[in-house]
Amino acid sequence: MTVPAVEIRDLVKEFRTSFRREPLRAVDGVSITIQPGEIYGLIGPNGSGKSTTMKALLGLVAPTAGSCAIFGKDSLKVDSRDDVGFLPENPYFYKHLTGAETLRFYGKLCGLGGKTLHDRVGELLALVGLESARDRRVGGYSKGMLQRIGLAQALVQEPRLVILDEPTAGVDPIGSRQIRDLILTLGERGITVFLCSHLLEQVQEVCDRVGIIFRGKLVREGRLDELTAIEDQTEIVLRDATPELIAEIEALAKRHGAGWLQAGKPRTTLERLFLRETQGDDR
Amino acid sequence: MTEAAAKRPPFLRARRIGVIARHAFTQLVRMKVFYFLAVFAVILLASNLIDLPQHAGPESVGAGVLRSIKSWSLGTMTLFSVVLGITATALLLPKDVEDRTLYTILAKPVPRLDYLAGKLLGVLLLVLVSLALMDALMTGALHLRTGRVLEQQTQLAQAQGWPAEEIAAMRTDTLAQGPSWSLQGAVAAVFLRAVVMAAVALLLSTFSTSTLFTVIVSFLVYFIGHFQADALDFARQSGHAGQSQSARLLAGSVALVFPNFQIFNVIDAVIQGAVLPLAALAKLAAVTGYYFILYVLSSWFVFAKKEF
Repeated sequence: MTVPAVEIRDLVKEFRTSFRREPLRAVDGVSITIQPGEIYGLIGPNGSGKSTTMKALLGLVAPTAGSCAIFGKDSLKVDSRDDVGFLPENPYFYKHLTGAETLRFYGKLCGLGGKTLHDRVGELLALVGLESARDRRVGGYSKGMLQRIGLAQALVQEPRLVILDEPTAGVDPIGSRQIRDLILTLGERGITVFLCSHLLEQVQEVCDRVGIIFRGKLVREGRLDELTAIEDQTEIVLRDATPELIAEIEALAKRHGAGWLQAGKPRTTLERLFLRETQGDDR
Repeated sequence: MTEAAAKRPPFLRARRIGVIARHAFTQLVRMKVFYFLAVFAVILLASNLIDLPQHAGPESVGAGVLRSIKSWSLGTMTLFSVVLGITATALLLPKDVEDRTLYTILAKPVPRLDYLAGKLLGVLLLVLVSLALMDALMTGALHLRTGRVLEQQTQLAQAQGWPAEEIAAMRTDTLAQGPSWSLQGAVAAVFLRAVVMAAVALLLSTFSTSTLFTVIVSFLVYFIGHFQADALDFARQSGHAGQSQSARLLAGSVALVFPNFQIFNVIDAVIQGAVLPLAALAKLAAVTGYYFILYVLSSWFVFAKKEF
């Protein structure tokens, strides 16, 4: 039986606010299981408990009740972090270090060294597209570059699980697209990704499964295609269809008793338009 | 299992602490703290100009300058090492929390004790290097000045017709005021005092939410430390006089928790030319070790349960 990459069981986390007040329950009985190789998105509004769930998984906060495990190891134990990389929301790294020095620092913390680390740093800088900025101090990096170096440090010890907290927060559409592509690349490499975001379109593009968290409770969970499909509707997209052809298809549909809901030009997203105009990206 | 996890290098924890310590050292160096050495050089030059009014005899010529160089230099070293030990330690932890770099470090397989020890050792490495540089400057200046003083004293004594044995005795006394192993021991004592204060600041910064609070309370502890022994003696005497047992317990608790900085007063004696026995320095090191372990373990106890 495969050991889940992430296993959160009945997680409850309460924070003390001030004297005489009831503790604030940030996470309320959340259970999530993520299998190796999955890209899982946890979505919810600000303050819904996404980040607290992630912090509990990383051992940064201790559960009030319940448990968290990474590849079967209790999250409160240090060795559970052997196989995990983490990118926090809006990360700031040591400004006095260059991009390459930053990765070397994190690599050494994980026990890497010598040629292995040297090669790994070069490989990661290439992966996140920061080769040209490798010797620039991180203090001078743009927001998107910070997120990418953050992603690179999360991957430095070749973890089997990557946890990303709002990975594209505050990043422009181009940077956001690059980060999404990187997440998809990780998925292709078989790395499990646990991503939390309140940007729904982004989650929809990359995740296999999603969970919706609201006021600390997991209110819905499942495969993305199952959750988003409208079972009683069918979409047909045609290229260069004449008005006569459309009218004929509509008549045919009505003859067979199908409801004709709409026909018109499909819209691209504003983001895709922006990327096409600025990057020549036709995706 | 990842490659990193599967092939754990030997002494990984020590290496990891070393990585964090080197990083903290670099971080502080790039904050340009070594500019303080220029200030030290100015103070050293100024101390060269200070000489007390001379007595009639040749033996007193220049002796004041030598004491002045030692006194100003060791005083500046104490000030610098204590201020740096406290502020740097108080700054590093909250900064990592504020910038969320702590999340990325603790999300790696880094035990919290290793993180704390690394940060503290980084600060202490900086204090050590700074003191070594200041010590080199002081010793160099003192060596040059002692040579000149000896020359002046000898000329004056010979002019006054002193016998050779008395001149030799005078030279021995003057040399005792110059660079010596005791003086190096005094610099080591300055470092040990900074070690204790940095460990105090580390403990405070693990539960404090403000750098300013940590710095102020650390200096308060430093101040109390100079009176700890007096307070302890007073409480013990009260206990002997038949007063409450609680006074003894209180005194014992104060002695256990607050560092006793009066034992570092050996530095003043060295400035006056006294010899610092190796046993006294070893005792200082042992006491420092006790406080260091006490404060670091207490810091770990607090930090291990801390949530981010």
